[in-house]
Amino acid sequence: MTTETLLQRAAELLTPFTKDSARPESNRLDVAISANDLPAAAETLSNADWGYLSAITGMDLAPEADELEALYHFCDKAAVMTLRVRLPRAGRPEIPSISPQIPAAAFFERELGEMLGVTVVGTPDPSRLFLPDDWPEGVYPLRRDFKQEQAAPVETANRPEGGRVGNKFIVPIGPQHPALKEPGHFEFEVDGEVITGARMRLGYVHRGIEKATEERNWIQNLYLLERVCGICSHTHTSVYSQGVEKLAQVETPPRALAIRELVAGLERIHSHLLWLGVAAHEAGFDTLFMYSWRDRETVMNLLEELTGNRVNYSICVLGGVKQDILPEQAASIHQAIGYLEERIRYYLDVVSSDTFFLQRTRGIGTMTLDEAKRFGSLGPTARASGLRRDVRLDSPYGAYTRFPVSIVTDERGDLEARFAVRMKELLVTCSTIRAIVDNLPAGELTTRFPRKIPAGETVSRVEAPRGEVFYFIKSGGGESPTRLKIRTPSLCNWTSVLNKAVGHQLADVPMLIAGMDPCFSCNDRMVTVRGKKDSRSMTWSELREYGIQKYQGRR
Amino acid sequence: MNITQPHLKKFMERMVTWARVNSPWVIHFNSGSCNGCDIEILATLTPRYDVERFGIKLRGSPRHADVLVCTGPVTRQARERLLRIYEQMPEPKFVVAVGSCGISGGVFQGCYNVIGHIDEVLPVNAFIPGCPPRPEAIIDGIVKLLQHVQQGAPAPLATLPKLQEAV
Repeated sequence: MTTETLLQRAAELLTPFTKDSARPESNRLDVAISANDLPAAAETLSNADWGYLSAITGMDLAPEADELEALYHFCDKAAVMTLRVRLPRAGRPEIPSISPQIPAAAFFERELGEMLGVTVVGTPDPSRLFLPDDWPEGVYPLRRDFKQEQAAPVETANRPEGGRVGNKFIVPIGPQHPALKEPGHFEFEVDGEVITGARMRLGYVHRGIEKATEERNWIQNLYLLERVCGICSHTHTSVYSQGVEKLAQVETPPRALAIRELVAGLERIHSHLLWLGVAAHEAGFDTLFMYSWRDRETVMNLLEELTGNRVNYSICVLGGVKQDILPEQAASIHQAIGYLEERIRYYLDVVSSDTFFLQRTRGIGTMTLDEAKRFGSLGPTARASGLRRDVRLDSPYGAYTRFPVSIVTDERGDLEARFAVRMKELLVTCSTIRAIVDNLPAGELTTRFPRKIPAGETVSRVEAPRGEVFYFIKSGGGESPTRLKIRTPSLCNWTSVLNKAVGHQLADVPMLIAGMDPCFSCNDRMVTVRGKKDSRSMTWSELREYGIQKYQGRR
Repeated sequence: MNITQPHLKKFMERMVTWARVNSPWVIHFNSGSCNGCDIEILATLTPRYDVERFGIKLRGSPRHADVLVCTGPVTRQARERLLRIYEQMPEPKFVVAVGSCGISGGVFQGCYNVIGHIDEVLPVNAFIPGCPPRPEAIIDGIVKLLQHVQQGAPAPLATLPKLQEAV
């Protein structure tokens, strides 16, 4: 189905609820509905299998209007349909939850609640998501009248960690833990060695970047957004540049777009090899960790040669790229890609044939196609369950029309499939990089770019190594954005991991977490999964007491 | 053998310093970093840079570690954890702040959830600048710290020039 027919279908489906509709861009449809119709509209879309909920953006419309606005972005292929709901600004307005219809909405709703002060009625867990424990009640950082002074730390009772909570025995993991390279806090509810529930608290690396973008100008934001995540830094600059270029109606030169795709490909190689090493380390296969990181240095060298930096390449500028690819660099790219391709084939063979390694991956965390859809999975995690979701193909952007990639999917859905999909994806990336280097379009690297961006809104989507990155950018016509919403793929994948952890051994947890390639710095959210059965639980001291009594009794 | 004898005591101290300098165990904590520094720290441990040849080893538990390597600015939620990890480390302990954010808050200065640089929370012995610093720079920073330890003197606290208020 073409984008046009998809949008027409969405418009037809939503006719009973539509108050007003608009077509801001050729691939977008905005439908204004009232808050009460939201669950029904979500149900209609979900029943008709129209796309997936990609993000919820909350906006404070002050000072122009005394209202808040919640934007529910649904994506299907290249089509983006946005449900717009207006809410009064005074006090804590209420909006009904759509989590019963779309489970993936739960995190987005909690974020909306704490960032803008909206009560989401019926959301499964309205507790704090992003903000620190000592954040005062009633202070919402994304409201226009927020001032730093209001956020002075308040006294908090210490959160219980592990031991007995209610009627469960909880094993806490993190935020500092040997199996985690980044800070995240997990609470696994266990019955013996078997997990019966999982919970997670992030926010240790939440810095408040969305708010910060509003205080910096369009160019300064490029450097800030590059540091959303140091692993997929190029993704964030390219998704941002792409969106701002659309708003400014600037045509980016084809050579620049091709170089962006080239660097994105190299970034994918570095990221997947990094992940392969870390995931192998979690499985206790340190040899593979060291091997893959040794080979990753090849691509790091290449990135340094092309951009001047190993990490945070800073190659994107608004309206183009900073550096060109010289003929002699093309030769070194070919050489390095040749070597990497050979190594990746070897790793693919290792992860799909090593008996000991397969014991840690085969049949572990199996996610069916239906589950992947329901949990809203993205990227290689979704593709390993046979879900064909890849922005590079669904909505080709930049140079992906000229240098297309082929999709790699697997039907098995377990950890083994995720390893295979990522490695095979790299082989595709290698051949795309070769094609780009050989057929680099001639022309300029950059084009003139205005300092002020015309007022408007846009949606920009890019496929990062971990899945779709979604940006919503609103310009008020000034030198800095009015609102910039970032939604990264790791957030969408947490649901699946924590749900799939239930029923597995506690020892599989590091592998399950590593299997989705989590990136904590680009998402800061909290998830709760309700346990299927009620399990007995005790605090440490109770357990000790129980043990002493039991063994004394035996004697 | 009485260890309180002056020459024996001195010998033991030299032995301990020798051991400490040749096998400093490291713990890493990300208190709000973008991962850029973290992946460079991991790269430092892997075969190309291989700091294990200096006896440097990444440990999982703060109770086994001599050096705390911190990355990123300190966020409000991570502050208490950072302090707790530092307190759990045995004496003598050293702190290395890696990256621009650890030095000044970097690009995240003024963000609502960021307290600031690591020096505001912990005493820091060495700062390694860069966004992110190259693995060579990280090795250089740690080696400089070890040189101080080898000289027997307590590692000095690094001082920063007074930073201008963020505009």
